[in-house]
Amino acid sequence: MTAEPASQDETSRLSAAEAEISAAIVRCACGDRLALRVIYDREAARMVGVAMRILRRRDLAEEATHEAFLRVWRGAHGFDPARGTARAWLFAIVRNQALTVLRNEQRFDADTLDESHEPDLGAAISRLPETSALRRCLQQLDTGRRSAIVLAYAHGFSHGELAGRLGVPLGTIKSWVRRGLRSLQECMG
Amino acid sequence: MTPDRDDSPLAAEYVMGLLDAEARADAERRIASDADFARQVETWRARFSQLDDTAEEVAPAGDLWQRIESSLSKEAPIAQAPAVGMIGRFWRSIAALRIATLGSAVTAILLAVVAAMTLQHAQQVAARKPIYVAILIDDATRQAGAVVNAFADGRVEMIPLVDMNVPDGRALQVWTLWNREIGPRSVGLLSRAKATQLDLEKLPGTTADQLFEITLEPAGGSPTGRPTGPILYKGTTARTL
Repeated sequence: MTAEPASQDETSRLSAAEAEISAAIVRCACGDRLALRVIYDREAARMVGVAMRILRRRDLAEEATHEAFLRVWRGAHGFDPARGTARAWLFAIVRNQALTVLRNEQRFDADTLDESHEPDLGAAISRLPETSALRRCLQQLDTGRRSAIVLAYAHGFSHGELAGRLGVPLGTIKSWVRRGLRSLQECMG
Repeated sequence: MTPDRDDSPLAAEYVMGLLDAEARADAERRIASDADFARQVETWRARFSQLDDTAEEVAPAGDLWQRIESSLSKEAPIAQAPAVGMIGRFWRSIAALRIATLGSAVTAILLAVVAAMTLQHAQQVAARKPIYVAILIDDATRQAGAVVNAFADGRVEMIPLVDMNVPDGRALQVWTLWNREIGPRSVGLLSRAKATQLDLEKLPGTTADQLFEITLEPAGGSPTGRPTGPILYKGTTARTL
């Protein structure tokens, strides 16, 4: 797996995407179907990728992305460009949708998820831009706390799954996560 | 309630998806009722969102868009629920504007409009007069800068009356506001002042007292989808006789 930090080009590409997505969400709120298509063309592959990291199955990742687009359409009027960033809003929707699918799948059929894909813990952090405060602050955390936070956010691990994967009791995991988050909060201001 | 310092990890755990169903529902209720907590959630969301860009892109199946579209067509048309949050200081001065419009400026503006219409659009006006007209004026100088005409067939045009100074790298953006809850919508983008057809096709029909305004924005249009630059001219529609 490639693990290159995001380049300068990537950073400017992302800020252009941000403006475009923000405008498109506002147009969706007016009922402009073409604007939803703009979001799809620009972000659908990344959205499937985000869902895939959590669900580890492509059909489920597409299902989550499908539902996420319906939610974007219905919820576009609630997006406030002044409050949050557009892409963060968009990805929060697809992540939540993926987590919902994950919880349902686990409830109904524990075997459907492909456990053979071990999440690559280092990849997420090493791909953050070199200049990223999140990268710098995550790297300052103890390995256990850092792993717990990244596995939970990027791979949708629950406290219980984190305890299993990292081989520590549930109570320890909960306190690692909390303390890790406090350190991140201080570090990122 | 919970001291502030305990809220931040809770907001983060909500964003990460670590809360159980009950705690999650509590958190959602708090987002709706507690602005501080909602802000902390936004902050964490923005912090973590960089991790989303570390996911590999996975091209969706070729028919995913069609499936989404077909789900959308099965849904009822979206209800235009009230938008959350800011409508902006921008639009508040509208009341003041109306009073100003009623004052002495009105004669001068009407003259300017009549002149503009006579000179530039005599034929069209004779053939098909607009049902609504808005005179966009400069708040500071009370000078009329443009006219917006809305026709019965839904066509809306903007005709400048003065040459507007557009610095390099900037553009004129035309906005309309017909509902404060929904907020302003962009209906046109121009590199310089010129008569232009405005794009209101996707908006509800133009009505009386609908606000139009022209702001100065970065070339390519406002990056946020809302007016960000100074207002050059603004005015509301009035029905023609």
